[in-house]
Amino acid sequence: MMQSQQPYTGQIFQPTQAYTPVTSQPLYGNSFEDEPPLLEELGINFDHIWQKTLTVLHPLKVADGSIMNETDLAGPMVFCLAFGATLLLAGKIQFGYVYGISAIGCLGMFCLLNLMSMTGVSFGCVASVLGYCLLPMILLSSFAVIFSLQGMIGIILTAGIIGWCSFSASKIFISALAMEGQQLLVAYPCALLYGVFALISVF
Amino acid sequence: MHPAGLAAAAAGTPRLPSKRRIPVSQPGMADPHQLFDDTSSAQNRGYGAQRAPGSLGYPAASTLPQAAFLADPMSNMAMAYGSSLAAQGKELVDKNIDRFIPVTKLKYYFAVDTLYVGKKLGLLFFPYLHQDWEVQYQQDTPVAPRFDVNAPDLYIPAMAFITYVLVAGLALGTQDRFSPDLLGLQASSALAWLTLEVLAILLSLYLVTVNTDLTTIDLVAFLGYKYVGMIGGILMGLLFGKIGYYVVLGWCCVSIFVFMIRTLRLKILAEAAAEGVPVRGARNQLRMYLTMAVAATQPLLMYWLTFHLVR
Repeated sequence: MMQSQQPYTGQIFQPTQAYTPVTSQPLYGNSFEDEPPLLEELGINFDHIWQKTLTVLHPLKVADGSIMNETDLAGPMVFCLAFGATLLLAGKIQFGYVYGISAIGCLGMFCLLNLMSMTGVSFGCVASVLGYCLLPMILLSSFAVIFSLQGMIGIILTAGIIGWCSFSASKIFISALAMEGQQLLVAYPCALLYGVFALISVF
Repeated sequence: MHPAGLAAAAAGTPRLPSKRRIPVSQPGMADPHQLFDDTSSAQNRGYGAQRAPGSLGYPAASTLPQAAFLADPMSNMAMAYGSSLAAQGKELVDKNIDRFIPVTKLKYYFAVDTLYVGKKLGLLFFPYLHQDWEVQYQQDTPVAPRFDVNAPDLYIPAMAFITYVLVAGLALGTQDRFSPDLLGLQASSALAWLTLEVLAILLSLYLVTVNTDLTTIDLVAFLGYKYVGMIGGILMGLLFGKIGYYVVLGWCCVSIFVFMIRTLRLKILAEAAAEGVPVRGARNQLRMYLTMAVAATQPLLMYWLTFHLVR
């Protein structure tokens, strides 16, 4: 049963669609030498991860809508762990808060984007984008290790990094979902989410 | 005899491409009483890259030992059944979610763009110069908020509510009274007041037997606009103390009062009143009082929900 509007999901390393069952040999053969490499099996494509990281780090670079074709959760997982690790270096053991807030934030953004856009999104895509844009927040929490962020410089730095994160996230969302004239509207809830992360880093 | 194939094919969507399946039937079965073919000793067949069931989307190619495990037709069928179950479950949720949450109706309220939000926020803080408060219609359906600044939307109330909860947490944090469960307490009390308001207004609309096209979601949208003023008040209170709080809150209270009167007048009162003709008659008087009562509760609630946050 086909639905008229398919939610947008990623596809990576799909097996060739044209295959005849039963009689043909499977794609990756029987023997050990013909197996796919481990990273390809796991779906971790370092080149794509690097491209997406670069897109996040250059806030003014125009994002390519097709880079979000793969729902890649490996990169965001690494970034979440790195964020928790930098918090740990500052003496705050708050992995639980990080995971909880990410989950609630991803769920909220998922509902909002599904309601606001013409095509829907999948949860994996939302989680992936939000996870990648957490990268500048890791910079912030590593600053927090060195000097306290509760002065005026800290406030300005925090505001700048929250703006950077939410701008990148909204840029990727609107290019992937083709939403026009709504960048600020998408950036605002992202800013709220990253603001909560920043609160954890600062206080 | 490919029960696994049938099940998966029936539930297959483009997102779950056809899986590779190990052929279950083998020519020349050894034991006629055996329910399933014994393929454990058969040569290994690689599975190839295949899509894992569910929404993760990681290909899981199996190596030799896994192929032997998955060659077992029982687990093979179980896996196909499990994946078809997941797909069916998802379809069930998608079909039935419309019964509890009217998703398509909600989408109308989120069809906004930045220009609309900017103009609406300006209207919420300064509604005095705006002349035409009528919502434009297009063949009997109201125009999307994107195209008409008078149409209600749910983006602003939703964002304002979440921002209010976070700003309340911030305010409590600066007074050293913060703890995470207080945040939940604030959120649930604000939500409870909103629900109470909506129910009270719906009840009074019913009692006054007003013929209006004001839907519940419209009402929630209108009642959610006061959170914008509340946020402004709290922020000013944080920056400039009690004086700033009272000044900004007073200004926002008056603005929201005027805004609500002008908006609800068109919805609740009869067409005659909407065109500016003076209101006469007992029925219209009652409706006018109702509108004024609704508009008057807004400032009261704005004060009630924020005064304990600013010291």
